[in-house]
Order: sequence, then C-alpha cells, then structure tokens
Amino acid sequence: MKKILLFIFYLFVFNNSAKALVEVDITRGNLDPLPIAVSPLYVESGSIDIKQGDKVIKNVGEKISEVIEVNFKRSGLFNPLKKDSFVQKPDIAHVKPRFEDWRLIKAQALVTGKVKVSEDKLRVEFRLWDVVAAKEMVALAFSTTPNNWRRVAHIISDKVYQRLTGEEGYFDTRIIYVAESGPKTQRYKKLAIMDQDGANIKYLTLGNELVLTPRFSPKNQLVTYLSYFRNLPRVYLLDIETGVQEVVGDFPGMTFAPRFSPDGKKIIMSFAKDGNSDIYTMDLQNRVVEKITDHTSIDTSPSYSPDGKYICFNSDRSGLQQIYVMRADGSNVKRITFGKGLYGTPVWSPRGDLIAFTKVHKGRFYIGVMRPDGSGERLLTENFYQEAPSWSPNGRVLIFYRETKSDSEGKGFSAKLWSIDLTGYNERLIKTETDGSDPSWSSLLSK
Amino acid sequence: MTLGTNLKRFLIVILAGLALTACASQGKKGAKLAGDVYTGSETVEYLATGVKDRVFFATNKSTLTTASRDTLRKQAAWMRKKSKLKFTIEGHADERGTREYNLALGERRANAVKDYLMTYGISGSRLNVISYGKERPVNSGSNPLAWSQNRRSVTVKAE
Amino acid sequence: MTRSIALSLVFHSVMIILTAISLPFMMRDPVDLPPILSVDLIQITDTTNIPFAAKAAKTLEKIKKEEEKRVVSEQAPPTQKKKEKPDRIPLPEDLNKEKKEIVKKKQNPEEIKDEIRQASEFEKEELFDPEQIAALIDKAKEETAETLKKDKKLTQSSKKTSFATGLTLSQEDALKAQIFGCWSLPLGLPYHKNLLVRIKLRLKPDGTVLRSEILDHARMNQPGQGFYKVLAESALRAIRICQPLRVPPTGYEKWKDLQLNFDANEMLKG
Repeated sequence: MKKILLFIFYLFVFNNSAKALVEVDITRGNLDPLPIAVSPLYVESGSIDIKQGDKVIKNVGEKISEVIEVNFKRSGLFNPLKKDSFVQKPDIAHVKPRFEDWRLIKAQALVTGKVKVSEDKLRVEFRLWDVVAAKEMVALAFSTTPNNWRRVAHIISDKVYQRLTGEEGYFDTRIIYVAESGPKTQRYKKLAIMDQDGANIKYLTLGNELVLTPRFSPKNQLVTYLSYFRNLPRVYLLDIETGVQEVVGDFPGMTFAPRFSPDGKKIIMSFAKDGNSDIYTMDLQNRVVEKITDHTSIDTSPSYSPDGKYICFNSDRSGLQQIYVMRADGSNVKRITFGKGLYGTPVWSPRGDLIAFTKVHKGRFYIGVMRPDGSGERLLTENFYQEAPSWSPNGRVLIFYRETKSDSEGKGFSAKLWSIDLTGYNERLIKTETDGSDPSWSSLLSK
Repeated sequence: MTLGTNLKRFLIVILAGLALTACASQGKKGAKLAGDVYTGSETVEYLATGVKDRVFFATNKSTLTTASRDTLRKQAAWMRKKSKLKFTIEGHADERGTREYNLALGERRANAVKDYLMTYGISGSRLNVISYGKERPVNSGSNPLAWSQNRRSVTVKAE
Repeated sequence: MTRSIALSLVFHSVMIILTAISLPFMMRDPVDLPPILSVDLIQITDTTNIPFAAKAAKTLEKIKKEEEKRVVSEQAPPTQKKKEKPDRIPLPEDLNKEKKEIVKKKQNPEEIKDEIRQASEFEKEELFDPEQIAALIDKAKEETAETLKKDKKLTQSSKKTSFATGLTLSQEDALKAQIFGCWSLPLGLPYHKNLLVRIKLRLKPDGTVLRSEILDHARMNQPGQGFYKVLAESALRAIRICQPLRVPPTGYEKWKDLQLNFDANEMLKG
C-alpha cells in the first residue's frame, strides 16, 4: 500500500520539477478611457501668426492640441488629462520626455510635437510616446498650408487613435447635413457641410427650395441629394469646390434617396412613377440608366456593400417596410428582417460586416445594427423620433438625427444631429448653428 | 347551482348588454377618426362649393375610403366643367415614418387619387403629381389627430 | 292544436336549457392556481477539476476501490475542519472554473495576507507527508465528477498539473483582481477573432518583473493581425503599471515563473 502511495507522490514531484510555471487567466480589464496627455505643440521660433479670414491665430501649437483633446474626449476612448498638471514644457517634452513626470499624473500615453509656420507653409512633427514602457510609438512629420491647421490636429488624432486601438480613425472627416429652421409646416432647408467636430460650417445652397438626404461621393468631391428646384423633386449632383449643380439623368418623375456606388462611378436611387417606386442606377460617365428592381411595391433607400457586389434596400413588398439584400444586378433578392415592427433606412457599414437601420415598433423609433444576413440584430438607442443612421469611415460610430415632440401648436419642435458608438455607448449631441437633419459622413479626407 | 347564483349571472349579462349600447353612443365623440382615417372638416378647403380639395388616408396606406371616393367624384364632376384647368395632386405623409419611404408613400397616395379621377374621365395630362413626403404637414402637432390630418392628398389648381 | 303547443313547449324548453347551460359558462369560477413556489436557482458550480497525470489516475482508481473505508478515516485532519473555506486546501484548480466571481473591487490587502499566510503554513505541512497527500488526493477525487482535462493544444509548459506549485485559489484571485484593475482594454478590437495574448514572466521575490516574453511573438507583425500588436501592448502596459504584482510572500520557487493569459474575448462578446 505505502509503495503505491509513494509512487503517486513521486509522480507528482516529477511533474513538479519538470515545469514550475503557474498560469493565470486574465479575462477582464477595465473599459475606462485611456488616460492620455496631449502636450501643446511647440511653436518654433521664426513662426508667424496665422491669418484666417478676419481672425488671427496666435499660438497654433496650443490650438492644435486643444482640437486633438476634443477629438479624443468625444470618441469616448481616451481621457485627455488636464494641462495644468503638466510639468514638462512642450519643447523639451518633444525631444526627451521625462516619463516619470508624466507617470506621476497617471498618463499612459503622451502626444508631443512641434510646428513651424511660414507664409505659405505649416510644417508639423509629432510623436506618440508609451509612457509606461518609456518609449516612442509613432513619429511623423508632414506639411500643409497654414489654413489647414485644424486638419493637422485631426490627422494627428487619427494616427494616435490607430496606433492605440488598432482601428483606423475618423477625425479627419466632414459631415454633410440639412440645416433647417422655421415653422414645422414650412421648414426652411439648406445643405450644410462641416468638420466632424462642428467647425468650419459652410452652407452650400441658399434655402430657396427644399433639399433633402445629401450624401458624399467616396472621394468627397461631389454630393448627391434631392432638391425640389422648380417644384420638381429630382436627384442632383453638387460639386463642393465649384458649387455647380446638375440634375442626375432625365427622369419623367420623382427621383429620390440617392447614394454613390463605392467606386464613385454610379448613382443609385429610387424613381417613382404612377405610384410605384423602383431602384435605378445611372453611370455618371456614360449616363446609362439601369433598372435594378422591378416590383409593384415601394423599393427605396438603396445602399451598396463596400465591395460593390450587393445592395441592401427598403421595400414594402411583404406588406410593411422591411430590409432586403440583393446582388448589385438586382438578382437574388432576399428579405433579411423578420422581427416585429417596421424597418427602414438600411445602410451598409464601410467595413462590410454590419447594416445599420431604423426600426419603428409600437410608436417608438430605434437605431440598430444587424449582420448582412439579418442575424445579430442589436438596438442601440430608442427615442420618440430618430432615423437615418450614417457610418463613420471606420465603421465604429453612427451619426443620425432626432426630432422632438411638438405640442398641438407645433411649439417645442427641434431637429438635432446625434452620434453613438457601435457599442451603444457614448451617445452625443452634435452641436450645429441651426437645427439639423439627414447627416451623412464623408470618408477620410487624407486618403 | 342555486337560484341566487343563476339570477346573479343573468343580471350580469343584462348589465353587460347595457354597457355595450353605451359604448356605441360614445363612438360619436371620436367622430373625427374612423379607424385611422381623418373624417373631420378642419384643414379642409374647397375648390368650389361643396367640392372638398382633399382626401385622407390610414397609416402606411394609400387606399381610398368611401368618403374619399365620394369627394373625388365631386372633384371630377367639377373638373369636367372646368375643362381648361390643370391640377397638381399633392401626396403627403405623417411624421411617424422614415423620410425616404414617406416620399414614396406620398407619391403612391397622390397617384391613387389621380387614377381614380381618371376613371371619371379626367385626362391624365391635366393631372400632375407631386409628393412632399412628410415635409409639409398642415398640422404641426405631434398627436394622432394631427397625424391623421397630415396623411392626405390635396388637389390644387395649377398656376 | 295540442300538438303544436307540445312542440312549442319542447322547443322553448330546449332554448331555455341551452341558455341556462351557457350562462353559467360565461361566468366561471376563478381557476384555483397553485401557489407560486419560489425557486432559488442555484448555480451548480463546476466541481474543481484536478488533472492528474494519466498513470496516477488509474492507480488512484485502484486504490479507491481498495481503500474506501480507510480514506474516510484518514480524511480531514483536525486542522482542516477548523478552516471551513475550501480554498484553504491547496488543491490544484482548473483555473477556468472559478466558484466565486471576484468583482472589480479589490480585496482588502490585509485580509489577503492573512489568507496567504495561513495557507502557506498549511502547505508546508502537507508537502512532506505522503499520507496526508494521499488523503487529500482521495478527497479530491471524490469531489471530482469531471474527467481528466486534456489540453494538447498548448505547449507543455502550460499544463496546469501540480497542486504543490503555483498559487492557491485565493492567491490567484488576488492577483487577477489586481491585474483586472490595471488592464485598459483597447476598444477597437474586432469581434470573433483570437484575442488571446500569453505573456510569460520571470518575477523577483518582491513581485516586480525581471523578464517578460510574449508567446506568439511572431503574430505581432503579421498582416491582418494589427490588432494583436495593440492588444499585446495593452497587456504589457497592464503588467508594468501593476508592478509590484500581488504575489504570495513565500513560496517563491512555486510562482517565480508566471504566465498571464490575457483574453479580451469575454469582455467584448458581452
């Protein structure tokens, strides 16, 4: 008996000496925003102040760091630390940061940089440091015109975001939307464009005619939208640089709900005639028009998959609004929504993995996402009225708009732009000068 | 079963019957909405004496009710007399739907009206159709009554 | 005449009977619902899996059959009974099957030290008494319902075999809680991918890190695995911030080689 027990004992001892490694599984962490210190960029001597319109920008290095901080804060992923706790000066920090100083304030990452401003050039150099490991993570330099100093901040934000999360950023982008005002019964609407952080608002139309649902082309040069110019609702193209507008095609009836194809060569839209709306495409080069759906139901809100092979759209062929997916040539139409309620405004993520949509159920409006086969439906937010989500270029954030309930006299009505993360967190109001609706996100400007 | 319980049950049946009749008379109070369709006369304008300029629809629907068809017959009769006039038929939707779908729905409603007028001899070339979706509500409230008034198709004399 | 009266009577009575029958149906007595029993859902915790060396398992089974009665009497030396908590007994654990969920709150450091101290004293006793070991093995075997854990995928160094090295359940929980607090998960990670980073550490007795090595190092630079680099860096950062690690004050040889398996999947899939 004892022999057997000893034998077992030796087996254990044998196993002991062979490997003395303890394994511990770490399956949880915290989802707190990463504490990051953004040092003001050091402005090299010899730099001049930037003249922007009627404003003079002094100390652009500080301004750039402020724009970066706002970007980080709004993303919900980073926690920019307060500047008054910074010990090191910007010039030294950029060359040789004293990591102990930064660790003291609990920073895990540090952004430093320097700029040189001359009459026609703004040269930037920035570095991202891993404070904990005490080493440099990113070092980049680039130059642009002085007026583009905000874009410098956005590009730096994107690079830092990418290095620390593994995802592409979305800060160097613009948003086009409909700026609206006036009484509910006679809303005054204009096309407006702004940086994703709300700066640089520009109005693209005068507001003389109703404009709706603007969308960017993939190269961000063109915009397509619906205009009621001369009381004929049609899809138009607008060149952002030149301001030139032209009607898309020569349709004998209302065209609406336009989007670009991923390669920017076609416009896909709905055409309504005799009570029936079908989906059509028009090639912008050769002006060839193709009919994609052919059904007596309403087919609208088409959106291409990022590879251009599929289209998701809204149809009521089953009796109520549902979402369908078909091949880009219109074949193989499949319904993908079967839940309770109505589904509309489907829009394919630039990553191709999800379709965002609006859902209406029991009088409430929801913004949600689902996989392209209709599975994995997740509702992100609920409201009295909200719709029309649009994806950030990295497929992580959705922008949409909400309207508030008005009383019987129409008072209390407002329309505002909102954004929310794919995780359902970080729901944010996007401030605009006027009320806003129908927002659409551009792709990265620097691509 | 005792006589007492039987009697109780009998009385309950009678009371229930009375309650039902009471409900029937209540219907008159909500007379502005039948089903989901506005049946009142607020917001209605007239193309001519006795000729209403608009018809109303149920949520998400473009079918014409009996009342709508009656209105449209009167419109058609009047249009036949004014053979030189052309018209624009506007289609509208309430705010409780997505914008793009509502544009299509408005168009469908306006065409339902146009088709019906054409069956009464009005030439299609005299009837132009435009959809405003939910962009031009006539009642800016956010309540079922306002929404029912906004689900409409309006016939307008073309300039 | 009489015939018609008779028929009339018959039909009338039929009608009355029908109504009499149907009226009661309109008013049923409320169904007697059985009282709602409150049911406490108890989580049947997976019993601790004690992976034995294969040969030992077979021998143990033989012993068990022979020695059942003897085991009972040898069991539970008095000192064991005083300490009721099962985690005082330094049995090897299947680390994936914890009974307790240590939430974000860190344990009171003083508390932990007490536990550790007592447990290690206890350990020392056990280690050099084969009889006691046998008793423990058998008790453990009784507790187990699980089969042997076979994990051939991981390298040999990852086999969690022996109970005599390593950390007790409470020691492990303490370390985990500490690192949970230090690890800032990068939020841009893709779903449904392998989000496991294994880092091997050589520790100093005070809990600071002497050496660290990322297993699967080659993955860091593979195309399409960019997120792995970010994930690995976040794990390294967590370890650095957490120094000195919460290690037991004694038994250095047992835990000086520590492998931390950072798995972000659980957090993301939620």
